[in-house]
Order: sequence, then structure tokens, then C-alpha cells
Amino acid sequence: MAIKPTKFQHFLMRNPIMQFFTYIYLNIKILKIVRIGHDGTRNKK
Amino acid sequence: MAKVVIIGAGVSGHTAVSFLRKNLSKQHEVVMISPNSNYQWIPSNIWIGVGRMTEKHTIFPLAPLYKKKKITFIQAKVTTFHPEGDNEINKGFVKAEFVTGNKKGQTIKVDYDYLINATGPKLNFEATEGLLPGTNKVVSVCTYDHALHAWKELDALIQRMRKGEHVKILIGTGHAKATCQGAAFEYILNVESELSRHKVRDKATITWISNEYELGDFGIDNMTMKWGRKLMTGKELGEMVFENQGVKHIKRAGVYKVEDGKAYYETLEGEYKEEEFDFGMLIPSFSGHGFKAFDKEGTDITDKLFKGFMIVDADYTPKPYEEWSVQDWPETYQNPSYKNIFAPGIAFAPPHTISKPRYSPNGTAIFPSPPRTGMPSGITARLVADNISDMINTGTDNITHLGSMGNMGAACIASTGYGILRGGGVSITTYPIVPDYEKYPETGRNLKHTIGRVGLAGHWIKLSLHYAFIWKAKMKPFWWLIPE
Repeated sequence: MAIKPTKFQHFLMRNPIMQFFTYIYLNIKILKIVRIGHDGTRNKK
Repeated sequence: MAKVVIIGAGVSGHTAVSFLRKNLSKQHEVVMISPNSNYQWIPSNIWIGVGRMTEKHTIFPLAPLYKKKKITFIQAKVTTFHPEGDNEINKGFVKAEFVTGNKKGQTIKVDYDYLINATGPKLNFEATEGLLPGTNKVVSVCTYDHALHAWKELDALIQRMRKGEHVKILIGTGHAKATCQGAAFEYILNVESELSRHKVRDKATITWISNEYELGDFGIDNMTMKWGRKLMTGKELGEMVFENQGVKHIKRAGVYKVEDGKAYYETLEGEYKEEEFDFGMLIPSFSGHGFKAFDKEGTDITDKLFKGFMIVDADYTPKPYEEWSVQDWPETYQNPSYKNIFAPGIAFAPPHTISKPRYSPNGTAIFPSPPRTGMPSGITARLVADNISDMINTGTDNITHLGSMGNMGAACIASTGYGILRGGGVSITTYPIVPDYEKYPETGRNLKHTIGRVGLAGHWIKLSLHYAFIWKAKMKPFWWLIPE
């Protein structure tokens, strides 16, 4: 059975003001992923 | 003076050539060999395929840019690799065939000190009988011209729906081992959104077909992500989005043949079924380009360089799924036999898939191949470019930049509809891409950095990234500040 978003969650997903804050939040999350960077794995075994 | 040759002007190759030109002084030569005259920002092809963008938004000619940046551009198609040279050239070279102009059909030997193979995949439509775009009611959004054709066909379909005709739309993967489910996922949701915008949504049955074991696998073995304060799996996410947009789904399906408006597939249970459609977009399998390699004496050494895609520093020892580890994945993208050859992006041969291999009772492998598109393509290209630049600038062979997909994050922004206020998107960040169950025993991923959101903001992010990456690809001021 699929999870169904509530009417309020739907409203949040479509509301431009709320979504503006989500946009900022997601950009920070993406930048954090970038900031962590990348490295090897073998020397850390 | 060193000469670096890059093959392929896609996301990976173009990123590599840009950073090499930035990092190396003009006394060093940077050469791009590509059969394509244009750069294309592939992630926006789905918007071309629904008529919301045209090719002019997503492509630009490479020759003027490369001329301005002092990058030698050879518009040709590489045919063979000669990493030891031959009796004429005493260093590695590739043979390429010109594809345009007065020299069309002629071959050229391009020697190098360092070679980056960033050829990406061959779109292997031939692996599925009848899948060729433009035949049997199937289209593709893999390239901008395919996407333009897809929109033409979709537009014609919308006109039929306006006249009251009910149609069936089938979108997903067109081969039992296809990857790039994300692009098909975006396209099906954008098609659904556009049909709603054109007020013909009720005239279509939209069905997703995929080789994934569960929805939301995306070739990275599903994932558990933070969703607000809760945890959500990719399966739950996929089901929620499809339920919300009224999309039916068929999973665990390996499409093996397409006839006029009919897709034939085998299920993981071993049953043979078919699905009818009026409009189909099925992602083909990817394969290597079938390059051949020769040593100095002309002996075939293809096995030293290629295993379908190019052999790099991965652990290719066959082992069962339970024994797979992040350490199997490459971290330098350097060929072990020829240390001056590298293959970032989709061009490298993965050690194995990321999703669990599954076989039908008939022995058919039905599971996604590992994706290496998007962010990992750019990141691996940059680290290869940085390593080569360091080696040239310091005169050493030290590799200082490492980047395994088991120790690298990615952001995946999937559009679910176009429009500043009507659009939508699924935004996911994941760390690492290849799950590391030693480090993160519960889910294989760091839940602090593996999150998901659905909503309008996703569309804004995807649109922002579109403009940012076009800016970066055109090497406009401060382009290097934009991350991969």
C-alpha cells in the first residue's frame, strides 16, 4: 500500500512560500554533499 | 611540453577538458576528439521531450568555445587505441576518423602523453529487437534530436486525445539490464504533468515498466532516506509518487522485443508477457563502443584495455553479492596496464552492479546496470583532470586525488513537471552512492546526508542547475566555482 501524502502535506508541496524555504534547505544539503568531497576507500579498510 | 588528449565531449569529457585547460599553462597542449559538433546538457532533454524547452536551450557549438580557450578540437570518431605506439610513432596514440568537412572519412593518428577516455556509453538500441527510436511507436529522450522527435510524436498524440481518443503510454526501461531509470522516471512524470496541463489526462493510461526489483531502485540498490523526521525507502517514494500521479507500474520486467505498439517482456518469475501502447519511451541498454586496441607490433591487446567499457583500478574478481564491498570500486580511474590512460564517467567498466543481481528461472538477468551519469561523471572527470595536471606540473607520477563512488555523494533531482508554479520535482541527496555496509551497517548510507523531498522546490533546483551547468560548460566567468 503506497504512502499517501495528507492534504496538508500536499499543500506544503505546492505552496511557493514554504517551497522557497525547502529550496534553501535543499541547496544547503547539496552544498554539504559537495563539501564532504570524495576520497578513496581502500586505505581506510 | 605535455599533450593531453580527451575523447568525448559529454559531461565527463567536457569537464575534464575545461579543468585541464584551466590548470595547465598554454605551453601544454589539450586536445578534444569528439564526433559531435555540439555540447548538450542531457538532463534537460526530458523537457525537450515534452515541448517545454527547445534544443537551443540545451546545446551550443563546441568549436568556437574550444578555439577561444585554446583547446585543439578534432571532430572525429576514435576507432582504435595504440597505447605503445607503432613503428612510426614512438608513443601512445589513437586512430580517429573525421566525420565532417573535406577530410570526412580520412583517418588521423593523434599521439598523447596522457589520454582520457570519456566516451560515455553506446546507446545499444540494437540489443532489444525493434527498439530503434522512430519505429514501432517508440521514441527516446537520450539525445536532443531524439527528444525533439519524442515531443513531435507526443504532440500528435495529444491532438488525437483532444479528439476523444483514449491512448496507452508506456515508459521505462527497454532492456533487462538497462540503467538510467531516473531519466525515464522524470519523463513519465513530465508526460503525465503535460497531459494534465493540456486537459487530456483522463484520456490516457500511463504505465511504467522497469527491470527494477522494486520501484525506486534506480540501479543503486534502492536506498533508505530521511524524509522529514521519518525514514522512507526508494520503493515507498516511487509508489507514493506514482500513486499521486495515477501512474500504473510493472516492475521486475526485462523487455526483449518491441513490435508496432507492443512491448514483449519476461518477468523475474519467468513468465512471458506483453504490453500494448500508443506511445512508448523505453531506455536502451548501454554498452561500450567496441574499440579495439593494439600493441607496438600490431597484436590485439583489447583485453588489456577493455572489458566492454575501459578497465580501470577496480577489483574485477567475480564474487557473490554478499561479498561485494566499496573497495571493489575504482578510485583513480587509471588503467592498470597503461598508467597514462584514464576513464572517468560512464566510460569505466564497473566491477559489478550496485543493485542485487537477479535471474529469472529461464536464466535471464533482470536487474539494472550501475548508473555513473550526472554528478559522479563530473566529479570523476575533474579528479582525473586534477591528477593529470598535478603529474604534469610536478613532473611526478603521484596520484593525489581519489574518488570512489563508495566515498562520494550525489544529488539527484528528478523533475516531475515543468513550470515556475505548476512544476515539481523529487530531490534526493545520497551519501555514498555505492552503499557501504561496513561504515553504515543499517542502511549502507549516512542518513544525515541521505534525504528526500517532493515538491515545487525540486523544479526550481533542477532549473537552477540547468542554467548553472550551461554557464559552467560555456566556461563563462568563475565557471570553476560551480561544483560538479
